[in-house]
Amino acid sequence: MARLLPQDKIQPHWWRKSLISFFLGLLLSYGIVALFAWFGPGGLEMGMKVQFNMWMLSVIWLPLLAFGFLFKTAKTALLWLLIANAVVYLIFVSLWWLQ
Amino acid sequence: MKIRPDVLRTYQSVHTWTGITTSLLLFIAFFAGALTMFKPQIDQWARPASLIAQPVSNERIDTLIEQAVTTHEKASQGFIVNFVEGGAALSWFEQGGGRELVRLNDELTYATLDDADKLQISGAQTNELGDLIDQLHRTAGIIGKVGHEDLGVLVLGIAAALYFIALISGVIVLLPTLVKYLFALRQNKGANRFWLDSHNLVGVVSLPFHLLIAWTAVVFAFHDPFYGGLGVVYGDKPLFERGGKGTQTYDIAELPSMVVYKQYLQQMAPDYKLEKLEFSQLHTPNPTVAAYLAADDRPLRGGYNDIIYFHPFTQAVGFSTVNLPEHGVYGPVVKSFFALHFGNYAGDYGRWMYFAMGLLGAFLFYSGNLLWLEKRREKKGEQRKSVKVMAALTIGVCLGAMLGIGSAMVASKWLYLLNFPLNHAYLWVYYSVFFAAIGYSFYRGAARSAIHLLYALFAVCVAIPVTSLLALVVPGMPTWTVAQSGLMVEFMAVLFALVFMVTANKAKYRAYYGERNSIWALPRKNELESNDFQQVTA
Repeated sequence: MARLLPQDKIQPHWWRKSLISFFLGLLLSYGIVALFAWFGPGGLEMGMKVQFNMWMLSVIWLPLLAFGFLFKTAKTALLWLLIANAVVYLIFVSLWWLQ
Repeated sequence: MKIRPDVLRTYQSVHTWTGITTSLLLFIAFFAGALTMFKPQIDQWARPASLIAQPVSNERIDTLIEQAVTTHEKASQGFIVNFVEGGAALSWFEQGGGRELVRLNDELTYATLDDADKLQISGAQTNELGDLIDQLHRTAGIIGKVGHEDLGVLVLGIAAALYFIALISGVIVLLPTLVKYLFALRQNKGANRFWLDSHNLVGVVSLPFHLLIAWTAVVFAFHDPFYGGLGVVYGDKPLFERGGKGTQTYDIAELPSMVVYKQYLQQMAPDYKLEKLEFSQLHTPNPTVAAYLAADDRPLRGGYNDIIYFHPFTQAVGFSTVNLPEHGVYGPVVKSFFALHFGNYAGDYGRWMYFAMGLLGAFLFYSGNLLWLEKRREKKGEQRKSVKVMAALTIGVCLGAMLGIGSAMVASKWLYLLNFPLNHAYLWVYYSVFFAAIGYSFYRGAARSAIHLLYALFAVCVAIPVTSLLALVVPGMPTWTVAQSGLMVEFMAVLFALVFMVTANKAKYRAYYGERNSIWALPRKNELESNDFQQVTA
């Protein structure tokens, strides 16, 4: 394997990456769960779906927290998570609008 | 599998930091959690046979209830019927009661009928040993409340999230050598290598269990804020349907026979065994009865039961954890999340598996700390302060917690001799032993106190069956019967005692004959003398 140049290596940026994954990761988890809650099977009202949704939040959030350190810099982490959030919430708003 | 070196380095740091900050809390949670697998058995073991309700036959239970509720105000507000083999036993809270897990000052009154159908009453404080171990599991012993939630639960919730990250990072770090070395337990490459190999093996083999426990613990701790956020997602749609408040109070004389409830529950939950009915608020417009239903072959939403709450007079169901058609497809799925944490879906076989995996989990955190210490050890001379402190904390907290639980269990039977509030005494015993162990560990150093605390653990474990034997002959102790718990607690105590003795001997050998520059080494008694001898003869 070729040696990585210093600028290609993952930068630690511990605090920034952690905070970004924490907040934007949580926002993304809520976005995905919101999509599932409103437009997923069973709709908003089915049986114990609200409990299922609550459980699913951490299923999405915890891996985001764990894998967030794979981003090369805090900046790329911020960028990608912002894009992901934008996509999810855009889909949510458009589905809402189409309804 | 090839992983980029910078990724490995990054996740090595993540693993170290998440691990070392949470390991001690998680050790306590896992050790106590393993014990809670057998909470009913521990309770049964702890409660003297003479101080529990004496059952009457199924035909006479209605007579007993009628007499009790007409003569005793507390009983008319609420009571508990325990169904045992061929009969039922009646009791009620003279003091306390409620939904909190641990209630230290509760007192129960037991009622039964004599041969002439006359009401016989006795009372005793409740013995909360099992619930206290459960509380230790949920909070790691951290006292305090934040709102209506235990501070310890929230702290463990954060620890569980970090532990999830530690698991993922640990696997990433291990990936390059996973296949080659997973089952290698290299004993000839030094103690450090052996600890690393066993740490990795336990971590990987029980990975699904650990991911699941970490995730469910996060949810148990933070479901309230999670629901709070979901409220925003749901907008003006309510998250839960609120049951309406009742308006009508019923006369207790209208309470149906126990047979009626049994038949009703037989329809609702055909293949469950009814364990107990808990009636409460009978004199208010919102009376409830909670039916505790047990089964050994399916996921249960509670630790040991499913529960149906319903109206004792109209039988309208308020809330049920038994799967009902209106729960939809998501009901059973959500229930399985709970069951996967509680390990109740495969009877006693499953509980033993969870017991073993819980203890292995405790080992995982303990060995992780040892590896951290080895990595930072100075090869020669005085150790750094951080290493000394962490070593003392690891020994003091881990061994101290086990010693505290063991001591409380030993104290259990003796406390009945003293006129002292039982459940408060458990707390005093646990915390004083726990903090004494930590203090001792700092005072004498990790190496020496590890040996002494392990021998103390051996002694405490031996004292458990010895106490059981003595309890049969010491006058004034309430009677215990062997049949109560089938000697399981005694048997396990002996097994633990053996393990602690072997470990203590090994620790002692390592201290005096192991590597001299280890942080676990102690000066040999004859070392000075032999040096003098060498000087003389040289």
